Amino acid sequence: MRVRSRAFWAPKAGNTEQEYEDAAWPLRPVGRTTRVFRCAVADGATETSFAGLWARMLTRAYARGALSPVRRERHLARLRSEWLAAVTTRSLPWYAEEKVRAGAFSSLLGLTLQSMDGGRIAWHATAIGDSCLAHVRGGRIIQSFPLEQPEQFNTRPCLLSSRPSANGASPDCFTRVGGCALPGDSFLLMTDALACWALGVAHCDDERWDSLRDDALTTGAFAATIDALRAEKSMRNDDVTILRVDLERPE
Amino acid sequence: MTYSAEISRSNPSCFLFLIDQSGSMDEAFGAGESQKKKADGVADAINRLIQNLVIKCAKSEGVRDYYHVGVLGYGAAVGPAFSGPLAGRGLVPISEIADNPARVEERTRKTDDGAGGLVDQTVKFPVWFDAVCKGGTPMCAALAQGSAMLTEWLAQHPDCFPPIAINITDGESTDGDPTAKAKALEGLASSDGNVLVFNVHLSSHRATPIEFPDAEDGLPDKYARLLFSMSSLLPPYMRDVAQQEGYSVSDGTRGFVFNADMVSVIRFLDIGTRPSNLR
Repeated sequence: MRVRSRAFWAPKAGNTEQEYEDAAWPLRPVGRTTRVFRCAVADGATETSFAGLWARMLTRAYARGALSPVRRERHLARLRSEWLAAVTTRSLPWYAEEKVRAGAFSSLLGLTLQSMDGGRIAWHATAIGDSCLAHVRGGRIIQSFPLEQPEQFNTRPCLLSSRPSANGASPDCFTRVGGCALPGDSFLLMTDALACWALGVAHCDDERWDSLRDDALTTGAFAATIDALRAEKSMRNDDVTILRVDLERPE
Repeated sequence: MTYSAEISRSNPSCFLFLIDQSGSMDEAFGAGESQKKKADGVADAINRLIQNLVIKCAKSEGVRDYYHVGVLGYGAAVGPAFSGPLAGRGLVPISEIADNPARVEERTRKTDDGAGGLVDQTVKFPVWFDAVCKGGTPMCAALAQGSAMLTEWLAQHPDCFPPIAINITDGESTDGDPTAKAKALEGLASSDGNVLVFNVHLSSHRATPIEFPDAEDGLPDKYARLLFSMSSLLPPYMRDVAQQEGYSVSDGTRGFVFNADMVSVIRFLDIGTRPSNLR
């Protein structure tokens, strides 16, 4: 299968790029023929510290295949140790110590595409939290995951923590879904603010929604769309990330 | 829609604590069942509130100034009540508060050991406010001074999420009925809504702690009923979060607690995503 992916992102209005705490992997544009393609987005929680680092670690690990159900717990334990080591390399003030003790939290949404015999393409997605995937065919969302309606979003999702006990005795709090895809289909992986807006307008004729799915979308056009949505208060002011994955039709 | 303004560094909100420092605060909690004085309970309550507010605003790079915080004491006198380097200051940015406690004590607390058990853990406990108990209870004067401070704040921040004033007292005002002064304070407003006036009642009365009631029934004495009536209704957003946190709430739920702390109010504040599994 021939896959193209591009990520677009913007920090919360009023914040610097260094304060952006979402993550996407791959972050750079990709165009390749492959049998397996993995990608992910994650959204570090505002109220926790060092959450951007945790989100980046999770997306990278998913894209490497390290968070498959069989390997997940072992690898999460390693990631948690690495996160703790990274954030405690220097002496911290009392409030930062408290934040480290509480742990970083992040959503994680991963998508795996797999080329099957006979030209079929299987996909499966894994999620914890409120980052959302939209499977698009012919300009329409034919499936969204894990949330389906704007009303399902709130500011208090259950997220994946760098502190193991925060995810309870049963660590398998991920949800999964899968299906078949066709050449020409697209998958959009979005963090919550954009996903909430997109699920509300995707079934209407909305120029901005169309523009986000346009092959010619530029970084500047993406930023302008996000600014406009924030200005008219159609979208919550938050870090925004969208990772577009297109399955190219054979020539 | 009110109480929906975004709290940010460019549009911060404000907390004002009014602290009863009167002589009656020298008495013990709960009719002598505890050795702890009410004044010590107040000091712990205010230090925990400020600590939680700082932690809420702390990010990887430091503390973001989402709030300015003031502590106004009332007893022998009415005035700013921070101890240490912030003594004499009015409303102070939260980052400055974070870096300037009077001292940092060490305390022990129970924490999960990751295997289903509890272990003792030594944690730092910053102190900005020390127990004081002297003089009368000039609650009316304190509410009036609080109104003056917040009037000035609101003139500078007309579109902020409305300031929250938390009055911590044993309820026995000695300079008159504080109801009108409390209503005047609550009458101040930004474009996003009126000031929220919440009350923490620490009493010597032996009674079960009460948190966020929606009616006077069941409140143990006239002081509790007075403070309940002076307390603002929780705005819908806070009510929703309170419900998610397990409190029983209704349209009549007010920002009032009896012989309990109000740290939960910090969790009711929205500065962005807060994981539901963060404890």
